[in-house]
Amino acid sequence: MNPFESELTTRRRMLKQTAMGFGSLAFAAMLDEQARADAARDPLAPKPPHLKPRAKRAIFLFMKGGPSQVDTFDYKPRLQRDHGKDLPFAKPRVQFAQTGKLLGSPWKFRRYGESGIHVSDLFPHVAQCVDDLCILNSLYGSNPAHGGALLKMHTGSDSFVRPSLGSWLVYGLGSENHNLPGFITICPTLAHGGVRNWGSAFLPAHYQGTPLGVASQPSDQARVRYIRNPAETLEEQRLQLDFLARANRDHLEATGPNPALEARLGSFELAFRMQSEMPAAQDVADESPATQRLYGLDDPVTANFGRQCLMARRFAERGVRFIQVTHSDAAVQWDQHGDLRKGHAKNAREVDRPIAGLLKDLKARGLLDDTLVIWGGEFGRTPTVQGAGDDGRDHNPEGFTMWLAGGGVKTGVQYGATDDYGYYAVEQKMHVHDFHATILHLLGLDHERLTYRYAGRDFRLTDVSGVVAKEILA
Amino acid sequence: MKQQDRTRLHRTSSRTHCTTPILATVVFVLTTVSWGSALGDDAARTKEEGVAFFETNIRPLLVTHCYSCHAADSKKIKGGLTLDTKAGWEKGGDLGPSIVPGDPKNSLLMEAVRYEDEGLLMPPKGKLPDADVARLAQWISMGAPDPRTGAPAPAASEGTGMSSPEAIAEARKTWTYRPRVDPPAPEVVDHAWAASSLDRFILARLEAKGLRPAPPADKRTLIRRATFDMTGLPPSRQEIDAFLADETPDAFARVVDRLLASPRYGERWGRHWLDVARYADSNGLDENLAFGNAWRYRDYVIAAFNDDKPYDQFVREQIAGDQSTDAETEAAARHESLIATGFLSIGPKVLAEPDPEKMRMDIVDEQVDAVGRVFMGLTMGCARCHDHKFDPISTADYYALAGIFKSTKTMDSFKIVAKWHENSIADADDLARKAAHEARVAAKKKEIDEAVAGETARIKKEKGEAFAIPKDAEAKLYAPAVRDRLKKLREEAAAIDKEAPEEPTAMGVVDDAVADAPIHVRGSHMTLGKIVHRRVPTVFHESTSNPDFDAAASGRLALARWLSAPEHPLTARVMVNRLWRWHFGKGLVPTPDNFGRNGEPPTHPDLLDWLASRFVEDGWSIKAMHRRILLSSTYRMSSDHDARGGEVDPENRLYWRVDVRRLEAEEVRDALLAVAGVLDSKMGGSMLAVKNRDYFFNHTSKDTVTYDAPRRSVYLPVVRNNLYDVFQLFDYSDAEVLNGDRQSSVVAPQALFMMNAPLVIDLSNRLATALLGDPGLDDDGRLARLYQTALGRPATADEIARAGEFLHRFAAISPLPADDAAGRRREAWRAVCQAIVSSNEFFYIR
Repeated sequence: MNPFESELTTRRRMLKQTAMGFGSLAFAAMLDEQARADAARDPLAPKPPHLKPRAKRAIFLFMKGGPSQVDTFDYKPRLQRDHGKDLPFAKPRVQFAQTGKLLGSPWKFRRYGESGIHVSDLFPHVAQCVDDLCILNSLYGSNPAHGGALLKMHTGSDSFVRPSLGSWLVYGLGSENHNLPGFITICPTLAHGGVRNWGSAFLPAHYQGTPLGVASQPSDQARVRYIRNPAETLEEQRLQLDFLARANRDHLEATGPNPALEARLGSFELAFRMQSEMPAAQDVADESPATQRLYGLDDPVTANFGRQCLMARRFAERGVRFIQVTHSDAAVQWDQHGDLRKGHAKNAREVDRPIAGLLKDLKARGLLDDTLVIWGGEFGRTPTVQGAGDDGRDHNPEGFTMWLAGGGVKTGVQYGATDDYGYYAVEQKMHVHDFHATILHLLGLDHERLTYRYAGRDFRLTDVSGVVAKEILA
Repeated sequence: MKQQDRTRLHRTSSRTHCTTPILATVVFVLTTVSWGSALGDDAARTKEEGVAFFETNIRPLLVTHCYSCHAADSKKIKGGLTLDTKAGWEKGGDLGPSIVPGDPKNSLLMEAVRYEDEGLLMPPKGKLPDADVARLAQWISMGAPDPRTGAPAPAASEGTGMSSPEAIAEARKTWTYRPRVDPPAPEVVDHAWAASSLDRFILARLEAKGLRPAPPADKRTLIRRATFDMTGLPPSRQEIDAFLADETPDAFARVVDRLLASPRYGERWGRHWLDVARYADSNGLDENLAFGNAWRYRDYVIAAFNDDKPYDQFVREQIAGDQSTDAETEAAARHESLIATGFLSIGPKVLAEPDPEKMRMDIVDEQVDAVGRVFMGLTMGCARCHDHKFDPISTADYYALAGIFKSTKTMDSFKIVAKWHENSIADADDLARKAAHEARVAAKKKEIDEAVAGETARIKKEKGEAFAIPKDAEAKLYAPAVRDRLKKLREEAAAIDKEAPEEPTAMGVVDDAVADAPIHVRGSHMTLGKIVHRRVPTVFHESTSNPDFDAAASGRLALARWLSAPEHPLTARVMVNRLWRWHFGKGLVPTPDNFGRNGEPPTHPDLLDWLASRFVEDGWSIKAMHRRILLSSTYRMSSDHDARGGEVDPENRLYWRVDVRRLEAEEVRDALLAVAGVLDSKMGGSMLAVKNRDYFFNHTSKDTVTYDAPRRSVYLPVVRNNLYDVFQLFDYSDAEVLNGDRQSSVVAPQALFMMNAPLVIDLSNRLATALLGDPGLDDDGRLARLYQTALGRPATADEIARAGEFLHRFAAISPLPADDAAGRRREAWRAVCQAIVSSNEFFYIR
């Protein structure tokens, strides 16, 4: 049940839209007891989960473009052996483009950790953390185009406008820091769904993601829009806001009780506080040199993504519910239709150390226990070759890999499997809806109960599907 | 492997007719499974043993693994299939019978439990053990002996009971579907207040509750309210002064007439319509290409409102303007109604959907949904996959309408990246220009060809007829002079190419091959059910006449005429409710896009019907409806709070006062531009920098769209997935789904915008500069002018004093050099201007 739907009256709906979360709103003289209780229940206040949560927050490391499963975390000896042969079974009915024969991975796989899980040479640092990972080898979706697949991964729907995963989480759980947004997305891509991927759709605007910069911007320049005043000192601005507040109070007195007008007064105070809180949360300068090195800030190749990961940890510490970190530059990201060797190597090198750094840092600080880290792209890639050479793979939503860490998942395990060549998910298949249901479950939400009434029906992140993969719960 | 399985699903219907003859079944059973010891065993024994096999092996399996979703008492019967009676599997679910006795290979049940088909994996929680699968196969091979009697559970999964004849008869009596009545205005006590019949509907309810309407708003409040309401802009000082000076009784009527005649009116109210028309300049969703000609539809809408185009005609043009007989045959009118069909085309689309049939049906769905909600307030889209759960709309009703749009050409190609259709709106001049250009191209090509031919002849003459002219002849063999000439000619040709006049086209539709659509079981184009003849939903068959949908046309014109017929129970109701919503901030039906059972019922049902009746009677004139509403006492009340009203009706559902409302996104920006004196009133045209069908974003995230021009907001690009952030901040329509009821949120980022956005700082600066540059004013006069301009009222002495003190203190703490007195002063004035335009009084209309 949507916790707000019982509030049927317009006035209460208005309160829902206007309550700000800056503590006590001075409604006392104006509203009856019930309304006051509603106002106090601001839409971003922490809410009790449906189930005992295993994680309190999540960090999604999104590899835009579709990293290849068979070159990273899904070791396929048969693929290596049958390199150059035909795929011995049918390709999907709907494909993005035509592909040719089987293409063995150009990278060597080695066993790591106590679990002995195979990881390719693309991720030597993450491989060191393999005993902390829960590798999901059997993800599948339906849409082989970037736009549809991104939307599906982020919102559960590739054909309709739906709230994104992070919005659902903040809607379901509220936020633990009222001076920061509950859902932050660092350097997101504007292509392929763009803001839809962090939008709240029909959920109230409080639940939309707040972007920090965009993918084409270096992460040290990523800012929340309008967080800085280019013209005034803080002292000047304080004076100006005091003048404004006085005018607004006079106006309120003349107008009579009105929760929206009252809320707007408070919104300027919150904005004023956010101006200092947000840059402080982003500023990695006060991190020790060792920590900065851990994230690869000392290397120009890894510094950009490393800073994104480090910011993510700082937001996580401050109670931000859902943080997305996107790896995507202005070129082709993980989308290697050709130039697989060069492209995947470059991409992996940019993210490998920062991701390992994030995992180690979270663990050292005790944050990994209740922070769920999610890694993956919008789909995987074909084990068959694309293009004339032997250096490209096409989009493949039929079977791909994502991994989880922390937040109450089993560690050092692989869940599900693709076929012998890594094309289709075949064992313990996990549809994107199942993946979402599992993430919600880990954060203490029942995907069938987390609903919102819109246009006459109750909507869910998982639509009418989704099965929680209980086997991976620690 | 999947490919075959999926296509097999298609064949389920044909499989259902080929039931295996009983005799063959028995033979098959006996020979292949060796059931029974010998041929000729008596049938009774076979049956008995078969039942025993069922009871021992099959029933427990079905109970354990299937009944939770496939039994009469399941919480929810999935797929329309019950397996708790023999009749249940014989009838089968949405995909047809589950079991072909004696033939496990062709039994859907086996396909499902074998996990052969991507789309049909049962049980969903995990595959049965192989032994169980084998037992099921064995049982079916035996002829599926099953002693369980009883009828299958009545409702198929997709049937919700809402489309039964009883439910439809019941629905026809509800306020949504019953024919419109023309109720008399109720009796009231306070005749003096109730200036019009409209007021009597409002007052009667207030009086019944012992409430008094608020006193009339003062003239300044009223003109500010009406001006923002009708034009989206603040009234000018002159307009306010003129109204204050006019003491005649019809002073306000004159203001209303002036506002309705202003071109700014169409920009404001056309924008309201664009909210429900889900207008945007890009397809959104995935690839995000520029709808480079969508602006023509936007301009059409603005003009329609300014011209007070009758609403019934407006409806017809948008759905079937390509076939409309309303318009004159002259080109301009024909083009206008072609442009109107852009309504059907501008919705969000997934242009990189790799499955063309899915894309096609998704687009049809978007159209059915838009037509249903925009014109009738019905969420038809719900019936794509199953009968509507709350409203009397069946999947058959849905696909009967879908057939109309499937017979309509919206797309030229479904191949990635798909291409939407555009209609030519070239006039004679355009065609002449095009022909002239083509002639120039041809002439230049001829010159080039002749030069090449001449040189080829020369070379052949030199080297012999048999000489094969090599590909690089031009570089190697041509005479230098000819080479130069060719280079020049090609440059000229390229230059001519660049000058190609663009043939004006407009997004829109025409008819395609006409065909009825099959029901798509659970909304999937992979599982087709029975074909439904095009028609309007059953629930309307009594209140309206069901038009003919013949094989000659898609039926859009018939649908449009049906929708715009005076007796249609919803079209007029829905539109007057929209108009009311846009005037008062809430509809008489509080859910303007949903008149169904899950919407909210009207607060004043009689008034709704009365207004709808007047609307039709006035020839569907929207401006007449505005006049009726604006000149009512109801509209002219103040927003003053009243203790009794607050107690009895805290949400003001009965209209004991006028609600305070926040400016909408466009009003915020336009009002800022207006008070800063920089608003450009130019109308119409495209403001896109990208070409038609070009990407806004492909793999890059560089935003090249700018919003700097001081044009009215309605003309700024509306890029789906990347809306102008100022719009997003202030609850602009999402542009993806229609929205006749925008929210009005208050969030901190709005405050950040007013505090820090370069746009706000720049406009505040301009306002300050204008004030400081007026030599006729002293500082008190400037402050008075600021309040006058921004808030439409004189400042109080207190306010002047306080603002004066603020200016002084702000200048004193400025970080500017101490000797830059002018700079400090300018900054202080900018700051005071910014504070005033950030104030609640500026942002909220009383």
